[in-house]
Amino acid sequence: MNQELLIRQIMQEVLKNMQGAQAAPATVTAADYPLGETMPEKIKSASGKALDELTLEGVINGTLTAADFRITKETLELQAQVADSVGRKTFGMNLRRAGELIPVPDARLLEIYNALRPYKSTKAELYAIADELINVYGATVSGNFVKEAADVYEKRNRLKK
Amino acid sequence: MRSKRFEYLDQRPVNQDGYIKEWAEVGLIAMNSPFDPKPSIKIENGVVVEMDGKCRDKFDMLDVFIADYAIDLDRAEEAMAKDSLEIARMLVDINVTRDEVLYYTTAVTPAKLVEIVGNLSVLEAMMGITKMRARKQPANQCHVTNVKDNMIQIAADAAEAAVRGFAEMETTVGIVRYAPFNALAIMLGSNVGRPGILTQCAVEEATELDLGMRGYTAYAETVSVYGTEDVFMDGDDTPWSKAFLASCYASRGLKMRFTSGTGSEVQMGMAEGCSMLYLEARCLAVTRGAGVQGTQNGSVSCVGVPAAVPSGIRAIACENLIAGMLDLENASSNDQTFTHSDLRRVARSMPQFIPGTDYICSGYSATPNYDNMFAGSNWDADDYDDWCAIQRDLRVDAGLLPASEEEVVAARNKAARAIQAVFAELGLPEITDEEVEAGTYARGSQDMPDRNVVEDLKAAEDMLARGITGIDFVKALYKGGFEDVANSIFQIQKAKVVGDYLHTASMLDSDFHVISAVNSCNDYHGPMTGYQISPERWEAIANIRKAIDPETI
Repeated sequence: MNQELLIRQIMQEVLKNMQGAQAAPATVTAADYPLGETMPEKIKSASGKALDELTLEGVINGTLTAADFRITKETLELQAQVADSVGRKTFGMNLRRAGELIPVPDARLLEIYNALRPYKSTKAELYAIADELINVYGATVSGNFVKEAADVYEKRNRLKK
Repeated sequence: MRSKRFEYLDQRPVNQDGYIKEWAEVGLIAMNSPFDPKPSIKIENGVVVEMDGKCRDKFDMLDVFIADYAIDLDRAEEAMAKDSLEIARMLVDINVTRDEVLYYTTAVTPAKLVEIVGNLSVLEAMMGITKMRARKQPANQCHVTNVKDNMIQIAADAAEAAVRGFAEMETTVGIVRYAPFNALAIMLGSNVGRPGILTQCAVEEATELDLGMRGYTAYAETVSVYGTEDVFMDGDDTPWSKAFLASCYASRGLKMRFTSGTGSEVQMGMAEGCSMLYLEARCLAVTRGAGVQGTQNGSVSCVGVPAAVPSGIRAIACENLIAGMLDLENASSNDQTFTHSDLRRVARSMPQFIPGTDYICSGYSATPNYDNMFAGSNWDADDYDDWCAIQRDLRVDAGLLPASEEEVVAARNKAARAIQAVFAELGLPEITDEEVEAGTYARGSQDMPDRNVVEDLKAAEDMLARGITGIDFVKALYKGGFEDVANSIFQIQKAKVVGDYLHTASMLDSDFHVISAVNSCNDYHGPMTGYQISPERWEAIANIRKAIDPETI
């Protein structure tokens, strides 16, 4: 077995353990879907508003703003559990990666996406982004995903020249 | 001397189209290429060390991504060992459920997927689509654009399209800086026609995400993936950047799907000697690996390429089928114009029209062809009655319903007045009563007065700079006297907090209830199962406006 393969396996195991540690025990399934209808009390917006507080009246009288209409990590985790329950594991993983990215500001998220495009970043720049995702935002899975991208880009010669 | 028969045939529309013989060595072949990789997989300690005849140290970027993310490795060895012909037969066997097929097809490599569907006739592929479509009931999507980027017309055309039955709508731009107005117009107009319509604005990836974050759109689709690494690079992305983008959307509660299709790689001369369908199977594997709920595929804007080679339209049906075999939502193209022949354009759509897909067109042009800014569609507003007549002839629900002139005019007028009110409330350039009237009765942009484009573009930029969001649209509609439309836009913003509509093949009904492949999964398994047209719906489909009541004669 070559060294790269070994490192990959270790990475995969580490990732698997991290994901395993983060995922809450399955509490909802497809039987609870749509969650907005069966368990509205469990869903809050990112600003902490309960779902039944999100009303048209609130928008009109100005007590609600655009910031009150953002999804939370907890809700995405519940939706990921629904996805898992119908065998859509990769979709569930995407929702969990997404949950981690909620605190990253819009403009920064767009910058990171652009930095991930081919020939846009050096390996060190991508690793710095990964560290930022992990250390500033607690986005461990996405941070490691960016590191993995940097390694693949290096091997395939797609880093900034 | 020339045969008069051949002289006449040469003039026929079908002979204005381009055709080319296969050249498999360079990938100018739709499917069943002798040069496609042979299916294989080797897994050591949970890592794929060989896939489709290639060792891991020879993997390109796509191979790595597919091997590490797309294939369910727990079942991969079992699924790869299963005879492809046997799986092909499962696809058309009414005694085998969708889930039983997915057990194998979500655990195989791209070459295996292509080998499986390579056994199918086009009719069998259609039977496969009938079973493997994710959502129980089919639906349809339309394009709403025009050459002038006229927002009154977009609002009116979207309202009409909603009355006619489209569940989802997509706009794009002639001039990029018009995007905020076009996105606003289609969201507002569509929800005048029918509450709960989901809308998008197709622009460059980062801009599209930005519009979504501001609440101007409800989903995204123009997120392209490609089947070879070189074409992927040419598209200025990688599987990792696209997967990250997918998570960005979900982090803002926005639904999204990827886009791909046969022919894009060979069109760029970078097919690596593989068939169009094999490369599309790689795209779909990347889509699944990225954890995206669905795909817009079916050659899409490259349709001229597979349509020019033998069995190309069959290959398009097979790529839609593979989407279902990977448990993905499928918005199945039938969009770009590819032929001069009305016969060919109908035949091209039958493999999706008859079985039904999650979104049969992606989209059907809700304007005359000249106003379609996606380079024309295979179907347009001038064909509304044809589509409805064919549904009636074949007793098929392909997503549309006949509509009367009165209800269409009323919906268009309300949408035009609604956008007039919103522009006034948001301090945007005036929309005059003359423009409202023109939008109410227009067939296309040739019937619309010109606007002051410079002034519009400045106002659109200013609207973004002012930080106007979808919530401000709700307020403006309400203050402008359109409380019901305000409520629709409000409900769509609220749906992003809940996330139910992020799931596979979702759509909203007019009560904002989510229908998706979670609570309405396709359960077809033979005659009188799966989606059945209700008596009320059949009555509506059958009663086209030109049908005469025998009692009146």
